Amino acid sequence: MNPSIPPSTAEYGGDEVSAIVLDPGFSTTRAGFAGEDTPKSLIPTYYGKYTSEGQDRLIFSDDVFVTPRPSLSVHNPMGRDGIVEDWDMAEKVWEYSFTSRLTGPRPGNPFQNGLNDIADGELPTEMEGVETEEKPLADSPLLMSECGWNPTKAREKTIEIAMEKWGTPAFYLAKNGVLAAFASGKASALVVDVGASNISVTPVHDGMVLKRGVQHSPLGGDYISSQIRALFKANTPQPITITPHYLISSKTAVDAGQPSQAKYKTFPPGKAPDASYRTLLEERTLSEFKECVVQVWPGPNKLSATGPSGVSNEEVAKSNPGRPFEFPDGYNQVFGLDRYRVVESLFDAKAAIPDTESPFPAPTQAQTVPELIKNALNGVDVDIRPHLLANVVVTGASSLLHGFTDRLNQELMQTYPGPRVRISAPGNTAERKFGSWIGGSILASLGTFHQMWISKKEYEEHGPTIVEKRCK
Amino acid sequence: MAAADVRDMLDLPAEGQPRPHKKQKVVEKRPEGITRELYALLGERAPPIAINENRYKGRPKWMSKLRVRPWRMAPFTNEARSDGLVLHHWQRQGDTVKPALEGPETEGEEQKQDEGAPQTPDQEYLFAKYNVKARVPRRYTDEEYNRHLKSDDWSRQETDYLMDLVEEYDLRWVVIADRYDFQPHPVDAETNNSALVPANQVRTMEHMKARYYFVAASMLALEHPPSEMSEAEFDLHEKMMKFEPERERARKELAALQLERTADAVREEGVLLEELKRITANEQNFIAERRELYSRLEVPISVGNTTMYQSSQGLSQLLQTLLQADKSKKRRSILGPEGAAPSPAAQTPAPNANTRDSRGETPSNAQAAPTNKKAAAAAAANKEAQQSIRTLTPSEEARYGVQHHDRLAPGVQFRSDRAQKLTQAKSNVQTQKLAAALAELEVPLRLVMPTERVCKEFEKLIHSVNLLLDARKVAEKVESEIRVLEAAKQERERKAKEAKEKEKPEVKTEQDDNPAPTADVATESTSAAAAALPSAEGQETAGGTEDKEAEAGSGDTGEATAREGTSQKRSASVLSNTSDKSTKRQKKYLLGINCLCHLLVSACTRNQDDDPQTSIRR
Repeated sequence: MNPSIPPSTAEYGGDEVSAIVLDPGFSTTRAGFAGEDTPKSLIPTYYGKYTSEGQDRLIFSDDVFVTPRPSLSVHNPMGRDGIVEDWDMAEKVWEYSFTSRLTGPRPGNPFQNGLNDIADGELPTEMEGVETEEKPLADSPLLMSECGWNPTKAREKTIEIAMEKWGTPAFYLAKNGVLAAFASGKASALVVDVGASNISVTPVHDGMVLKRGVQHSPLGGDYISSQIRALFKANTPQPITITPHYLISSKTAVDAGQPSQAKYKTFPPGKAPDASYRTLLEERTLSEFKECVVQVWPGPNKLSATGPSGVSNEEVAKSNPGRPFEFPDGYNQVFGLDRYRVVESLFDAKAAIPDTESPFPAPTQAQTVPELIKNALNGVDVDIRPHLLANVVVTGASSLLHGFTDRLNQELMQTYPGPRVRISAPGNTAERKFGSWIGGSILASLGTFHQMWISKKEYEEHGPTIVEKRCK
Repeated sequence: MAAADVRDMLDLPAEGQPRPHKKQKVVEKRPEGITRELYALLGERAPPIAINENRYKGRPKWMSKLRVRPWRMAPFTNEARSDGLVLHHWQRQGDTVKPALEGPETEGEEQKQDEGAPQTPDQEYLFAKYNVKARVPRRYTDEEYNRHLKSDDWSRQETDYLMDLVEEYDLRWVVIADRYDFQPHPVDAETNNSALVPANQVRTMEHMKARYYFVAASMLALEHPPSEMSEAEFDLHEKMMKFEPERERARKELAALQLERTADAVREEGVLLEELKRITANEQNFIAERRELYSRLEVPISVGNTTMYQSSQGLSQLLQTLLQADKSKKRRSILGPEGAAPSPAAQTPAPNANTRDSRGETPSNAQAAPTNKKAAAAAAANKEAQQSIRTLTPSEEARYGVQHHDRLAPGVQFRSDRAQKLTQAKSNVQTQKLAAALAELEVPLRLVMPTERVCKEFEKLIHSVNLLLDARKVAEKVESEIRVLEAAKQERERKAKEAKEKEKPEVKTEQDDNPAPTADVATESTSAAAAALPSAEGQETAGGTEDKEAEAGSGDTGEATAREGTSQKRSASVLSNTSDKSTKRQKKYLLGINCLCHLLVSACTRNQDDDPQTSIRR
């Protein structure tokens, strides 16, 4: 095929209008141009805040992790349920996500950027019409994603920001469940999204969310982290403490299970960063732990149950070779059965490791993944249930836990032995992590989609309530 | 090479120019890194992949002639939108304009101006044509609603709301049912979403569908009365009018049940389906086999005429006739070296067998030959196997249906035929009688299930019936004789009386004279009875113990009656006494035979009754 000849538009139905797709999540915010296969800009939704020379300063993006500035505190504008709490900061974080990499920074105030320094004695002239040029998204339509249970108020606030603060010519708000279904090429699907703060199950029919079937529970990646912390606390021979890298000045290798021999950094009083900073960096170590060690018991039954051969599943799990993990301070240990136990409560609430200090209350059975799916299916019409079961889309970075889809498949087959259960989970890590962003990228680059945008004109005519009417 | 060298040395002009050229070409084509032998194996065609290319791939020649056609960001509007939103996308500049020779930017700018403007009016946006909406019925007016569409269950507002939703979601009922949230009292949009006001009644999808279909069908009927509708419209109207929400609800309940089956239920269903498949497959086989069997059975059977060939004498006669026929035709080679039986084809022109018979005969013979051979082979093999392995006990033989025959009639014959043959007597009258007797016993003339045992019993029955018929015949004869004799006796007594009245002394002489003829008659009748008796006795032995008992009983009663008779008629004369005795004896026989017949028939019917059971049990 000749690369200089583009494929005919009829072949893929694409028509790119350089739209920007913004997929804000609890842990990370993804942004990129529609039509591309991965988001160009991936930043943590967390931002840092510190005071320097009497001024409040903010740190966005990966810079948050780098320098332990004095009294640096880390915040998140999103609430644990996936709905924005701090709108001002959310706007700033989101704006940073596309201005830093995609559109370029907003030109500074011409009065202060030094280019227009006024010679002494001259009066500044009024500049009319400059305002519109300054908006960061003046020539890119914006497609944003939202969770399935986003309240109307939040949706209206979102379009307000996009239209008035960012000046986008056209805007659309799509549910991330729908987008994830599009990313795997399905218009009707049951989307299981395992994110950092939430697990959500969204039935999608013909590209529309069935609201009565939408289910979510807080057993996301952060919950698994809290389970790992509980495990570390109860660890024998001694509890494991996680010391992030920034506190380690040097370390020496030790044998497995031996106490670490590391030199720690100390901060002079008043110079140390906030506790939230340490938590954030511990979280990074924990996600490494999740990637390397944690494994979901693949089934066919619960971990606590007995297998078909009469041997209990725990025994089988124990006999599997363990996985070693070295912590930043040099302490290392091999994790056997425990690496299954930390995620078992996603499927079996009774298997949760109890921890009184955890911010997460003990999960109920209704919050586990199979129950969520069951409830979601019970909320939709019986005629489409078999079809949804045949199109289960698994997405979200936490679904990359080793063995997650196998277990989910087993659970669904057990709950619904009759209909055909088919799970479609992309094997590619990026496609799983950015599922909803990729769906947005596909949607916003479709020629047929361009009639769906809410244009600036329409917004001015109807006000923010138009989002409820148009983005169904 | 040598020739070239010689030419070179002799300074001759080189004329064999093309030859080395050719060789060189071949060598050039061979890529490096591949041996000559291997290359030769590849043949004429080039290898499918480039094995060793050290050059960059050049542009194809046709590309160098092309001019670069610039792309530019062009604005466009979408006709599917009502607000005229202008978006920008990349478009190839040379699409409509011929490749511009002037390169400078300013020229391009100008072109963009006059190209961007005309694009919108004359060229419709490519994807606007996909903007299609579902066809929903025309909205009713107030008057129409009040006249046709009023419902107790649905208010006007709610109907409006439903119609709006249907239009909005393009008849996607799943979504409509999901989003349906009718508020009877209009409330602010804000409170609407934050505080969930429970709807006064839950509308299921079936309710909505029923209402919508009713409205839509009514509107359709209002537009065109059903008599004027086109076929498609009428179908639609019918379909919508016939929507049954109750049935739909029941169907969905069943679907939910089906979805929530347990693993055991699913497994069982799978097993049952598998079983069903197997059964239907077997049934097909069975039907096919049965059909084949019937088609074989339906071949016309010629009973009478094959019998003459079943004896060895008849066969040899047939052979003779055939040989003669051959000789007359001067064809000698009919008997092969193996001495095989004449082929059915050769058999057909046999002069003494008429064509019809031969036709009936040939297939059976043709089938018989191989089956016989096979059977013989199988029997031989069986014998060997039996000898080598084990001998069957009688019970096993009965179970496997193994039979031993003293003499086997040649050819294949049906057991039912044999049973059938028994019902045919020599005379027509006799046959009819036989049939009547069987009909009286409710035994069908043609056996329903001619198993081995049934046939045996049937044979016995026929035998008994024959006996019965014979006995009856004899009885009738004897009775008539008795009647004649009694008439003669009365005559004689009357005469004797008259004579006594005339002259008494003569009586004695008459008494002396008379015994001779009566004794004759008596011996005659007894001999006749005796002729019947042995056969009856023979039959009795075959008939079994019951019959014997019956016979004994009848004998007793006969004796008793005889005694009674004698005691009663003591007073009678000696002459009458002797004749009486003979008649009494005859009567005794008759009585006995009648009883016997009766019992026989009852036994036979019992047998007949038993047999189907036994055959079923088998």
